[in-house]
Amino acid sequence: MRTMFRRRMFGQIEPSGSKRWRYFRYACLALALFAVSFTAYLDFRVRSEFEGRRFALPARIYARPLELHAGLRIPQADVIDELRENNYREGRFDGDSGWFVREGDWLEIEVRPFRFWDGPQNALRVRVDFDANGVVKVQDGQGVDLPLVRLEPLAIGGIYPGNNQDRVLVRLSDVPKPLIAALISTEDRNFYTHHGFDLRGIARAAWSFVRGHGLQGGSTLTQQLVKNFFLTPERTLRRKGTEFIMAVLLELHYGKDEILETYLNEIYLGQDRDRAIHGVGLASLYYYGKTVDRLTLPEAALLVALVKGPGVYDPYRHADRALERRNLVLREMRNTNAITPEQYMLARSTGLGVNAKSGRGTSPHPAFVDLVYRHLRRDYDEADLRSEGLRIFTTLDPRAQNKAEAVLERRLTQYDRDKRFGDPGIEGAVVITDSQTGEVEALVGGRDPRFRGFNRALDAARPVGSLLKPAIYLTALADPAHYTLVTRLDDGPFVWKSRGAPDWEPMNFDRQFHGAVPLRTAIAESYNVATARLGTDIGVGRVLGTIERLGIERPMQPYAATLLGAVDLSPMEVAQMYQTIASGGFRAPLRAIREVTTADGKPLKRYPLAVEQAFPPEPIYLITTAMQGVVREGTGQSLKNWLPPEIAAAGKTGTTDEQRDAWFAGFTGDKLAIVWVGYDDNRAARLTGAAAALPVWGEIVGSLQPEPLALPKPEGIETVRIDPASGLRADVGCDGSLELPFASGSAPVDSAPCATSIGIAVENVKQTTKNWWQRLWGR
Amino acid sequence: MIRPALLRVAVVAAFLTACASAPEFATVPPPPASPFPAPSYTETPAIASLMKDARAASESGQPANAAALLERGLRIEPRNPRLWQELSRVRLDQKEYGQAESCAQRSSSWAGGDNALRFENWQLIAKAREARGDAGGARAALDAAERLK
Repeated sequence: MRTMFRRRMFGQIEPSGSKRWRYFRYACLALALFAVSFTAYLDFRVRSEFEGRRFALPARIYARPLELHAGLRIPQADVIDELRENNYREGRFDGDSGWFVREGDWLEIEVRPFRFWDGPQNALRVRVDFDANGVVKVQDGQGVDLPLVRLEPLAIGGIYPGNNQDRVLVRLSDVPKPLIAALISTEDRNFYTHHGFDLRGIARAAWSFVRGHGLQGGSTLTQQLVKNFFLTPERTLRRKGTEFIMAVLLELHYGKDEILETYLNEIYLGQDRDRAIHGVGLASLYYYGKTVDRLTLPEAALLVALVKGPGVYDPYRHADRALERRNLVLREMRNTNAITPEQYMLARSTGLGVNAKSGRGTSPHPAFVDLVYRHLRRDYDEADLRSEGLRIFTTLDPRAQNKAEAVLERRLTQYDRDKRFGDPGIEGAVVITDSQTGEVEALVGGRDPRFRGFNRALDAARPVGSLLKPAIYLTALADPAHYTLVTRLDDGPFVWKSRGAPDWEPMNFDRQFHGAVPLRTAIAESYNVATARLGTDIGVGRVLGTIERLGIERPMQPYAATLLGAVDLSPMEVAQMYQTIASGGFRAPLRAIREVTTADGKPLKRYPLAVEQAFPPEPIYLITTAMQGVVREGTGQSLKNWLPPEIAAAGKTGTTDEQRDAWFAGFTGDKLAIVWVGYDDNRAARLTGAAAALPVWGEIVGSLQPEPLALPKPEGIETVRIDPASGLRADVGCDGSLELPFASGSAPVDSAPCATSIGIAVENVKQTTKNWWQRLWGR
Repeated sequence: MIRPALLRVAVVAAFLTACASAPEFATVPPPPASPFPAPSYTETPAIASLMKDARAASESGQPANAAALLERGLRIEPRNPRLWQELSRVRLDQKEYGQAESCAQRSSSWAGGDNALRFENWQLIAKAREARGDAGGARAALDAAERLK
């Protein structure tokens, strides 16, 4: 009965029990299969990603290197500023580079080694002597004269991966032993013996927690690397399991050195505005301004201290905590006998000694970097720019850039105060180029130079007003049979009628008409009516042809109103146009990049200087003289507040309707600068080019030791002494006469009433000119 | 009086067509013996050393490096006609004929009365035009060079 029962029972139960067992076995099998395939998947990921993985390295952008040579016009203070900006320390640090000593009017500099595009340059000791004008002598450490010394260029930013991670890769062999010892003592004592996980470490962490010493990691370096490398930052048990398996797999496939090297390059060690500082290579440059191999023991200990949390232990914001954590790292090193008690005591008593905080983020000059990026995008893939670690050598002159930023910011703040037009405040943009080579030396995209956004220098197309006038006068002066600097232009009432368009009746700024005015006065005083009449006389089409030849690619409407600047151009476009005049009629495309190399210095591309003669030298000489007149005696004469007259700068003011836009464009022998000031929302600024843009121009250019503007006199030009009152030839009998250039044969032949001598030989060619001139005069 | 003037115009016209300048700017006169004295440019050590390095780079078949060295010089002395002339030579080496011609013109624009230098520049322009297949332009340049003798 009982057996029966049992049998029945088991008879009934047994089949269901074996079924369950079978399910259990299936489940186990499935789980095992899943575990195996999951592990296989992780293994695949670990191997493919770790092996295929290269750190995405941002393209690194450098300013122009400062080239020191006898005769360079740069004040000693500006050289010191640039050295400081490049993290040169003041004081003598023998055996180290990147420092300078100032002794009266000379500097001793230990230049850092640097890989230029055309090859490496070793560390170098130089002595530079200055006088009031600039550099007088450059010598090496032994007192031998050096013809030319390149300082290593300032890094001015990069083109970063999407997450703005920045790093400088280092080899394990370059990382000093103390740094590795500090890392292992603090983060993972059993690194060299464990297999990816460390039971002793976990036990120690647990014990420490129990004893109330707070929660410690217990993660091995391998686990930390896996976490940073492959996983999201969430903290779940599943992720912890995945991390564990991957760490073991990583250890199975790779050696300790490979893992350590990757860890040292991956680790997040700081935040510089929007730029994330990764890896010990960049961190040592960022915090200490030196390559990782030169770090001292306490410096290395600070970097290791930051591993725990670069925000919490930020040496700039929380110096106390950082120091405490660094000393803990040193203590751990002593406890593990990585350093002696003496080394410990010495290192412990050292301050943090970090660089002044740069706060430059991805770039201190985002507007210029934007220009560089746009140029690079023509030749490179975006992905390559953001990951291949290309080195971009640019034309940025940090002196010009810093001065332009500071002056614009200060002046605009002052205009806002004076005008009280409310928010948003007045804006501006500056472009500075080398007037002879077309290299862009500075670019400011707005009053906040750190703002990465609307780049007015490139993208704010605004009406240019009178800035187009030089193109009209250049067209006229290229026709010397009809126009010279003293040709009388009619500045009487003028109406331009054209079918299908309303009548155009230009007005002068002072709402007056000035009658017959010499051409050079019409441009110097920026008379609209005389200019409009001149432009329509010679033809809008011809003027537009000149504008195009000057380098403006934007198509323009062939309307008469275009002549007076009813055309929108960006400051950069205006710079291109004036560049052609400034460099003697040779058009040179504006350039921001000189060379590009790979991360390890192999030259990839050079952007050479390119010039093309767009105009013969004679009319360029004449228009330049006329534009010098603008500054000497016309609308730009207040420039004398910033530039001595011998600089003889040429320029042009520009003011648009209701004074919405204030411009000044001009050049000296070596600098070309364009300044625009106005409101983004097109409010009337009630500021003229002379009142708002010119002071910015004058203050910037005046601070850059500009060279005088001295054009070579072309062969087809002769100078003739002219009596300004009559526009005729003057001689000793005339007071206030001046020498003016003329295309050969186009100068007036008659003598002014004040002239004592008469009878000048008249050549045939000159006769025609005379007739034309007389006809004009008679009007 | 008029006939030489006409001849000049013809030469100018040929030159203008050759360098594709627009015809409304009827200038670029032929270069007669210049009344202007040669500018006194003494070679500074910086420029001398760059020129020397550039020549060495050229001779060792690295024209890009030579050009870069000369451009460094031009940043220091943009008005040095010898640098522009050297750059013209390098551009000729690089088969950049348009640039070779432009650089020679730029050199002449700063040459003042240095006729020897300008003679060389016309020679370079002639070579550049010749290489581009512009035989007429090359001849005009050689004529211009001859007139400087």
